Amino acid sequence: MRGFIGTYGTALAGLAVFLFFVAFAPNFANPANLLNILKQVSYLAILGIGFTFALTTGELDLSFANIASLAAVATGGLIHGGHPVALAVLAGLAIGVAGGVLNGLLVTRVKVPSLIATLATASIANGLAFWLTAGVAFVGRWDKSFVALGRGSLFGVPALVLWMAAVTLAALFVLKSTRTGIHMVCTGEAEEPARLAGIRVRGMKVLGLTLSGGLAGLAAVLLAANLSSAAPGMAGDYLLTAIAAVLLGMTMFEPGRPNVPGTLVGGIVIGVLSNGLILMGADYYVQDIVLGLIIIGSVALSASTLKKAAFGV
Amino acid sequence: MKKLVSGLVTAAAVAMTAVSPAAAFDLGIVAFQMSSETHARVANAAEAAAKARGWTVTVLNSGGTMPSHVEQLETLVQKGVDGIIVAMGKPVEADAQFAEAKAKKIPVITVMSGTSPHTLFDIQVNEYKVGADAALYLLGQLNYQGAVLTQRFEGNVGTRIRGKVLDAVLSENTAVTVAGSHSMARTQSWRDDVRNGMQALLLQNQGKVKGIWASFDGQAFIIDDLLQAQGMKKGDITLVSIDGGPEAYRRIADPASLLNATVAIPFEDLGKAAVDALQAIAVDGKTKDSVTAGPYLFKDAVLVDANNVKGFLK
Repeated sequence: MRGFIGTYGTALAGLAVFLFFVAFAPNFANPANLLNILKQVSYLAILGIGFTFALTTGELDLSFANIASLAAVATGGLIHGGHPVALAVLAGLAIGVAGGVLNGLLVTRVKVPSLIATLATASIANGLAFWLTAGVAFVGRWDKSFVALGRGSLFGVPALVLWMAAVTLAALFVLKSTRTGIHMVCTGEAEEPARLAGIRVRGMKVLGLTLSGGLAGLAAVLLAANLSSAAPGMAGDYLLTAIAAVLLGMTMFEPGRPNVPGTLVGGIVIGVLSNGLILMGADYYVQDIVLGLIIIGSVALSASTLKKAAFGV
Repeated sequence: MKKLVSGLVTAAAVAMTAVSPAAAFDLGIVAFQMSSETHARVANAAEAAAKARGWTVTVLNSGGTMPSHVEQLETLVQKGVDGIIVAMGKPVEADAQFAEAKAKKIPVITVMSGTSPHTLFDIQVNEYKVGADAALYLLGQLNYQGAVLTQRFEGNVGTRIRGKVLDAVLSENTAVTVAGSHSMARTQSWRDDVRNGMQALLLQNQGKVKGIWASFDGQAFIIDDLLQAQGMKKGDITLVSIDGGPEAYRRIADPASLLNATVAIPFEDLGKAAVDALQAIAVDGKTKDSVTAGPYLFKDAVLVDANNVKGFLK
């Protein structure tokens, strides 16, 4: 019983919160609202899964939100300037990947701890985003084919939800069913034994951080498409919430370990809380307090993995 | 255990009933960034005015990011609120959410945001006029000659417009020169940035500067403190900015402060006017044109200096 609670306790608590809002928050259970929640957590889940990859290899990535903002303004700037959609999308993805590779090289070659390296990269990305825009957002009636990436739907399912599902399934496949994924997990859990076993741990760390950056690039493209605009700092808020989703995820399914289903459910729990609190008329600061409490609770339950990633102890 | 659970559920239900009276007008207020004093002043005034009418109010803070902003609008629309007020929003970016609100017949009034075909109208002061008032006051105090420093902020539409209007005014008055200009970074530590930037400019131009223009009052307060620390007295340098509020009025009236004038934007009136307009249109059933004919409802901003500050200190 204790094992069951340890593995599924947070998910069950999330379910209880969901049922509470179904009972007490007006219009919460409306299918349109439930679909809205999934749409709203899609960026959070995609960025959170990226962070999960980095954390799986034992490294922190605190730059993904600013890299996403930079990728969004690069994509938005190109679309705004009338350039081809494919070029703009590729530019956004490439910036994400490049940011991730840079993080990986700083950590594995220059030996800068990921906590510091990714904070520095975040600062550079923020500066570049403001340099590209001079602080002014790119806004407009953009190419419909680009906007459809974020606002379209297929058989009534919003594109953002489909992107989230695709990223989740792909990440699950990589981590659970490929040799590379297993090597990433081994690298994060026991670096030295993994190295002795012939696993290219530096390569795995670069890959983890690159995937985090790449998914930041994807989230950026979807953000710009959905909002039909791009501004420096537009993804900044996701740093804390996406990390919170991952930490919450580490308290369920595979307790103490970053895991994709946990991150997804963690993101959905945060989205449900945010939506339900608004529907119940809670004041805006209540949401911040609740998010803080979630982080404290999650870190308390999964502290050892985080400490290892942040400080190597 | 059963008793405890049923007790908790009952308490929650009672609490819900207490905070959400069924018959009350349900208002959603979305402020783009509550950490900005001006956004908070609009939202808080609207909240107070709505509560005074007995309305149910949900105040949301988008934290300065568009994704949160549109999510909150989407959620309010799903909730089926009776009206929405948006303080300092972004109508072009939130076009889809405003269109959804319109489709569900939820009236939306924006404040200092710009207009949208899906909202009733935007309540605002004319930022171009506000910028011109401040710039002309500064030049008048300098007798249209001498060197000035400018403290800008390009990351906000309103302050950017004010800066551009200043440039237009300066281009027609070439005897006033800009000795130095500092553009504030959009960071949490903007106060340090202003202090460091302006300190460097003052050192570079010691004794040469006759006036300083700041794009908003928060910057002017930091510059005022710097000038006072350097032993300057009121009148040594003309310091002018924009926004208004108790602290600005206190400094204008304070003989030790160097702040000469601000253009007072009536943020509280803007928030209250939004609630009044919703009352007229959504509750009393009046037409939108009876409140304002165009896409804007303009309010007046007033230049406040030593001559009229007493009236604002009350």
